[in-house]
Amino acid sequence: MQSANMLLRRIVGSSVLPFAAQHGMKKDLFPLSRTLSLSLCLKQDKSCEPSEKLDLDEWKKVMKSGLQEEVSETVSEPKELSSLAAARETLEMWRLAGRAVPENISEEQLKTFMECPSKSAKKKYLKYLHLKELHKKNDKRKMDEKRERRLQAQDQASKTDETKKSSFICMWSSVMDKAYNWRAAQSMIFGQPLVFDMSYEKEMSVREVTNTVRQIVLSESCNRKSVDPFHIHFCNFKDDSLYHREFIKQYREAWGKLLITVTDQCYTEIFPKEKLIYLTADSPKVMKTFDHNKIYIIGSMVDKTIKTGVSLAQAKRLGLETAALPLEKYLLWSTGAKNLTLDQMMHILLTLKDTADWKKALEFVPKRKYCGFVNKPIKELKKTLDLINTLKLGKGREEVQKQFAKSYPKK
Amino acid sequence: VQPPEKPLQAEEWNKLREDFQSPEIFEEVMLNSMIRCNSPIDVAKSLLTHLAKRNGDIAYNVLVKYLTLCVQQGQVSEICDVYDIMKVRFKILESGAYNLLIKGLSNSDQWRMALTLLEEVKKIMIPSRACYESCIKAASRHQEMKLAFELYDEMLAKDVVPTLDVLQSFFNFSRGMKDAELQKELFGILLYLRENQIYPHKTFMRSIKLWFESIPGGNWRGHLTNIKDSGQCPVCNHQLEDSNLTEEEYSNLSERIIRDVIHGTDTFRKTSPQEFEAFQTFVEDRLPFDIVIDGLNVSHIKPRKMQCENLFDAVNCLAKENARLLVLGRKHMLMNSSNWKREIMKEMQNKADFFFAENISEDDAFLLYATLRSGKHCKFVTRDFLRDHKACLPDSLTRHLFRKWQRGHQISKKNVFPLFFSQQPAFRYDCVVQTTGDTWHIPYKDVFEEKYSYQVPRKWLCIQQK
Repeated sequence: MQSANMLLRRIVGSSVLPFAAQHGMKKDLFPLSRTLSLSLCLKQDKSCEPSEKLDLDEWKKVMKSGLQEEVSETVSEPKELSSLAAARETLEMWRLAGRAVPENISEEQLKTFMECPSKSAKKKYLKYLHLKELHKKNDKRKMDEKRERRLQAQDQASKTDETKKSSFICMWSSVMDKAYNWRAAQSMIFGQPLVFDMSYEKEMSVREVTNTVRQIVLSESCNRKSVDPFHIHFCNFKDDSLYHREFIKQYREAWGKLLITVTDQCYTEIFPKEKLIYLTADSPKVMKTFDHNKIYIIGSMVDKTIKTGVSLAQAKRLGLETAALPLEKYLLWSTGAKNLTLDQMMHILLTLKDTADWKKALEFVPKRKYCGFVNKPIKELKKTLDLINTLKLGKGREEVQKQFAKSYPKK
Repeated sequence: VQPPEKPLQAEEWNKLREDFQSPEIFEEVMLNSMIRCNSPIDVAKSLLTHLAKRNGDIAYNVLVKYLTLCVQQGQVSEICDVYDIMKVRFKILESGAYNLLIKGLSNSDQWRMALTLLEEVKKIMIPSRACYESCIKAASRHQEMKLAFELYDEMLAKDVVPTLDVLQSFFNFSRGMKDAELQKELFGILLYLRENQIYPHKTFMRSIKLWFESIPGGNWRGHLTNIKDSGQCPVCNHQLEDSNLTEEEYSNLSERIIRDVIHGTDTFRKTSPQEFEAFQTFVEDRLPFDIVIDGLNVSHIKPRKMQCENLFDAVNCLAKENARLLVLGRKHMLMNSSNWKREIMKEMQNKADFFFAENISEDDAFLLYATLRSGKHCKFVTRDFLRDHKACLPDSLTRHLFRKWQRGHQISKKNVFPLFFSQQPAFRYDCVVQTTGDTWHIPYKDVFEEKYSYQVPRKWLCIQQK
């Protein structure tokens, strides 16, 4: 006991006191040090002399001392938290614990968060917001850097002070816009129709609808910029539907000026049935050539949870012809679903329309989904597929890889 | 990073930190590796002290990491200290910290504090099952069975699924107690296993057996056994419940299958209304069948053989017993091709009824419908596990019914041909925990790990009262 006291005195004398004095809380120092930790100190002391000065519980004092002030500040705050505030508080704690949680969250997002039906749904939503925030920050940083660089460049340019002469006024973008619009207007009169079937709203979640609209916006812009655009139809389009609202969000004022046809009618009412072909990955029929006299229909749907046969069912119901892209025929498929995004479909169809070259068109299939183009007869391909399978199973890996590399040189 | 063996001075920590490639996460990485190596707590403390001195504050996630280390080593007073610090510092804590605190405290003589903490958690969120688990175990370890069961009921009421561990601890800690109320609660757990078709593993089974045998004056005796194919228990000669569904369950299931599996959200996805109607009249005209065969599935049994030969063998094999057969197929089977010879198809059609669906329709849905419509005696042949169809059923109760029905009615066995139909059917008895009052029969898994969901255990615990 005596030795423990001695030790205590020694510790107090050496390290704690100056520290405590620094924080002005001398008086409630002693009750804080625990006997257990003291005994540990004792053991430590015997084992290694140099660390005798170390007070292992010092951090607790620091933590608590910082508090004293804080507590007195926050004491006046009302105890009861509204559910929203409580949720915000929880999020803050998650963020402190190092989980994927956004730093700033709006009231609306917080409400969506609270309405998530399960814990994992909440986690997913937060992760989504977190990533979105990160992207935004990154973009902003890049913008700033770019501006910086531009300013520097301008500075240098002004120093050289040289005026360039050119016969054109620099108005590229608006001139281009006019040219594009001219073409799109032409296509509205003479172009081949391409239908987006907007009847899948009820099959999708809000986020899927948002993604769908984004993809359609991308498709529309690449159509507009093509040499010979399609005449785009949005069929089964209900006013004030989720689609509609998302489109307005994306296009703002431009929504009213788009050179496309939007209608709440079904395509079967506008076009003769025998001319329609519904494009769906589930179709048993494979497209051989692009037919300039047919009207192709694309289902405006993003399905993150794989709903097989939804668009095939739609085509069956209306008694339409269906077709799938000949992905298997031209590509050595590796992973991923065969359904492509809407803008990829648009790129592929435009290329087919212009060139009728499948190889060129299927360049737009994401590279991760296939290993290479089929350049040999199917029989040999089968052998290769077997090779891939053994490769996956890990038998004689290197050897198989060599053979594979020989028969399918990477693009 | 290798954590140091002894507490370090501030300068030493500083040096280590500077040598580390990304200093901003040094503390986290260091604490993580301390947790992994189970370093002495003093080392962690010295790191915290160094941190506190340098920054005047310690971040929440670092505190949680330190807490993990304390819990791992059962340092109760440290856990309390950290809790005190956290409580004043932060308005509320998140679930990770609560889990740790409750786990740490429940293993000590401070376990009642874990209960108060659980109350605190409840105010903010639904406690995790780990929280409940620790508290229940702590309560039952201290023989507070009533409290433990209250927590257990509360857990179930909140849809938090208990682990087998928790259930087992009830049996372990109630051993030798004579208490009618308690007995009822434990029987309740066994019935919970029955309702949710959960099978205890071997050690859990042992706990149940020991508990039964320890009831004072209960005269229970347990034996491990295998049930005969007839469904009779060799120990007590008791006949197990048979696998047939009740009338109500049966009609409920067939209704659900038609509504959710065949029609679903859109009849066109699996078939078309016309086709389904045609099929319905076809089946109603010829009812009842004894065996329904998934033609395409069976035709792939032996890949070397021609597909129609496979089917032919199967039909011949099953037709012997004068059974009424229905074979489901697709229209492409009627086209004369290398795999489907017209003559053989003709011959088969004399022995069995055939229905050919559209090539893009799903024949499995028809298989289920025809079997269910034919009645309880009807069996079906396919190697398919029918998981995707089970998944179309919306609630777990119906899914369990489906599994039970499937176990009793599906004939399937891989490879070996004539043996294929040597009736590996189908369990005649139901594989769930069951009781008659003075006997209990409890199926259990031999190994600890999970079995496949379509498999049922073959080993049983038979408990009878003398």
